[in-house]
Amino acid sequence: MTLRRRHLLALPAMALPATLATPAHANPTIGALAPGFTGTDSNGAAIALAQFAGKPVILEWTNDGCPYVRKWYSSGAMQDLQRQAAAMGAIWLSVISSPPGEQGFAEGPHANELTRTRNAAPAHVLLDPDQKLARLYGAMVTPHIFIVDATGKLAYMGGADSIPSARAEDIPRATPYVRDALTALAAGQPIATQVTRPYGCVVKYRTQA
Amino acid sequence: MTARLLALLLLLAGLAPLPARALESNVATSPRAQVSLVSESDAFQPGQPLRIGLRLRMAPGWYTYWRNPGDAGAPAEFDFQLPEGATAGPIAWPTPTRHATGPVMSYGYEGEILLPVTLTLPATLPPLSLGEPLTLQLHATWLVCERICVPEEADFTLTLPSGTPTPSAEAPLFATADANTPHTAATNTPWQAEISPEGLLSLRLPGLDATQVREAWFAPYAWGQIEHSAPQTLTTAEGGFSLALRPGTEFRHQAGLAGIVVVTDHTGRTTAMELAATPGPTAIPAATLPLWQLVAFALAAGMILNLMPCVFPVLAMKAIGLAALAGKSRGAALAQAGAYAAGVLATFLALAGTLVAMRAAGSVVGWGFQFQSPVFVAATAWLLLAIGLNMSGLYAIGGGRVATLGAGTTQRGGLLGSFLTGLLAVLVATPCTAPFMGAAIAGALAAPLAVTLLGFLAMGAGFALPYVLFAAIPGFARMLPRPGAWMDILRQALAFPMYAAAVWLLWVVSLQAGPTGVLTTASGMLLVAFALWAVGLSQSRGGSWRRLGTASALLAGLGAIAVLTTLATTPTATAAAPSNQPQPDASEPFTPRRLAELRAAGTPVFINMTAAWCVTCIVNEQVALAQPAIRQAFAAGNITYLKGDWTRRDPAITEYLRALGRDGVPLYVLYPGKAAAPVILPQILTEARLLQELARTQQGDQP
Repeated sequence: MTLRRRHLLALPAMALPATLATPAHANPTIGALAPGFTGTDSNGAAIALAQFAGKPVILEWTNDGCPYVRKWYSSGAMQDLQRQAAAMGAIWLSVISSPPGEQGFAEGPHANELTRTRNAAPAHVLLDPDQKLARLYGAMVTPHIFIVDATGKLAYMGGADSIPSARAEDIPRATPYVRDALTALAAGQPIATQVTRPYGCVVKYRTQA
Repeated sequence: MTARLLALLLLLAGLAPLPARALESNVATSPRAQVSLVSESDAFQPGQPLRIGLRLRMAPGWYTYWRNPGDAGAPAEFDFQLPEGATAGPIAWPTPTRHATGPVMSYGYEGEILLPVTLTLPATLPPLSLGEPLTLQLHATWLVCERICVPEEADFTLTLPSGTPTPSAEAPLFATADANTPHTAATNTPWQAEISPEGLLSLRLPGLDATQVREAWFAPYAWGQIEHSAPQTLTTAEGGFSLALRPGTEFRHQAGLAGIVVVTDHTGRTTAMELAATPGPTAIPAATLPLWQLVAFALAAGMILNLMPCVFPVLAMKAIGLAALAGKSRGAALAQAGAYAAGVLATFLALAGTLVAMRAAGSVVGWGFQFQSPVFVAATAWLLLAIGLNMSGLYAIGGGRVATLGAGTTQRGGLLGSFLTGLLAVLVATPCTAPFMGAAIAGALAAPLAVTLLGFLAMGAGFALPYVLFAAIPGFARMLPRPGAWMDILRQALAFPMYAAAVWLLWVVSLQAGPTGVLTTASGMLLVAFALWAVGLSQSRGGSWRRLGTASALLAGLGAIAVLTTLATTPTATAAAPSNQPQPDASEPFTPRRLAELRAAGTPVFINMTAAWCVTCIVNEQVALAQPAIRQAFAAGNITYLKGDWTRRDPAITEYLRALGRDGVPLYVLYPGKAAAPVILPQILTEARLLQELARTQQGDQP
């Protein structure tokens, strides 16, 4: 009986064709612990996600040459989000994943210069020229936003807002997903929209041989 | 004019090219692309559709995007300034190609591409007098990317003379675009597409030699439907093929899946088709059992049902039934068994009929559905109490003498008792599914009515069979001790499993209808007990006691019915709503959305579909799922434990069960993290077996 039952139950598994292979990148999941990492910031300091336990952490993929990033910095909207995060005690990490020779690549001094000239307010700018962090989070575009809540769980991933354009004048008309998510986190309320379509320029992944 | 007509005739004959007139707007030029607006015909005619299109000639290495750009990018957008009454249709997007950059998948076009739009012109164009040219204005935005992305935009003005339209110099661009646009259902032979809950896209194309399909890929129209960069494994079969897609965060099985599929045949020729896949069943075949197998499964399921933990109250009744055969002739024993079997079969048929009728009326119900109603649960609790009281000897049924249930002192009363025992046994045994039952019930319900009834009859026959076989054994009755006091004592002892079952059902009501439901049900129990005591009084005494007893019983009985109606109107909202708080057993409530999210992320998931009224489910939870080793295995394998509670009606759970070819609980499904194939685990779980399955997930890919 036991054998027969096992045999019967084995059938469904066999009926499906052998399917998907291992994905080339990890997929972070809303509600699950965000992937831990240790990176280097624009001042050469080691930055680990774990060191911010108890505080929300925002990851912002950026590339200063990308028109979609420019939309957010020329309008001052990204800087506003960074200051909103700082005011609620959250840690804002801007991540530059462009490799040398590609648009957006920056070494420490240039990254700091960008922060100063753009009047930006990230807690740190992480330099990720080998795209390890980008692959770990499956960052697709610039800007691509991930919010980790105070308990270390991924609470939001997606676009900065709802209108996928490079026009700054669309920002006031769009649903401000990131601003809403930060407001909800600060008020201890659930985040209404947790996954949205990220839009922008492709992260400059080095083509693998 | 004659020369022109002649030239047109020559063109139609394909003999000589007509020196066609160019109809192209101003050209927006950047180092990345030259872009212009072109028309298919060299003149316009009011009332006739007019095809125009944005022509993009991109520098080597640069590309622009399809309607769903993929993981990044943006499609072109058109904003027309048209004469009043004229409208522009949607862009007829040509088939894109795929570009993978690291984990980022994009759908787009390289080189030269035309994005055609059909304009509808009214029969009269008010601002224009006859013969005046038509001026079209377009503001377009598009994104071109190489390693970097640049949004571009421009205004285009295109003027068309009035007249008889003939193909312009740009018409071949439209022909190329048309040849490269996915076939729609209207332009192709009929084909069917279905998407399974796991993301298996199946296409059926009558007459297709699937062995000639060398390569195929799917692209959805909307973002988030699938993981764009996940591999799409192709499986070919007779008359069709399938692609294993990985569902994305926005995938909703019930909404279907729309997009295009691009097929390359053995000659290297590529064809693209537009499709709108409808929600289909799971990729696990269940409802396609041949008839003999369906009947065999049903028979086996019915027999095994006798042994499921669900039926422990029934075992008591069966024991009494067997004991009642003591001292009887074989003929009488067979008659009893026959009456029992008739009760079982009648109840199975009634259940099948009710299920079919409720489904035809659009209700989402499954096996054991009756236990989802607190009214039914309360009534069953009272019935079990009433039977228990009968066994305890409080009152008699069947002819008004001392005939207690199953005792069968008179032939008539005994037969009725046996019939009722059969009926009750089925009602009480149905909350659970047994091995084989899932496939048999789902198969039976999916089949034509006659087959459905046949399947249920076979299950009933299987359920009644062991008892009938015992009765049919020559001399079985003689093997039992002679009738005597032992039968009364056994019967009284077996009343206690009945009371125990009533207590369990009271607990089920507490989960379904909260404290109010418990109060109502327990009050009803009190009334039932009082009514039966009064019945017993009227049976054992004569004269005015008899009338008083009957009247009291009647009053108490009416009171109980009144109580039942209040229970029917008790809002189930008083029951604890499923909370999103972490449960003590580290499970999360099951929702299809949560499952889709976890599946999209490749997280291993263990699903437990359970109900408070399912004893098998509870036994499994205690014996296997609650064990520390299992908890540790969940944690070690990063397995998310989703629990669906079917105690109350829940269409989402019913739909999930049905998608997996099941119609009842328990159901245990393990989704290994990186393989798409879910594994359905046995309905009787043991710690060792479960650990073994969980270990397989951790090893990763399939054997």
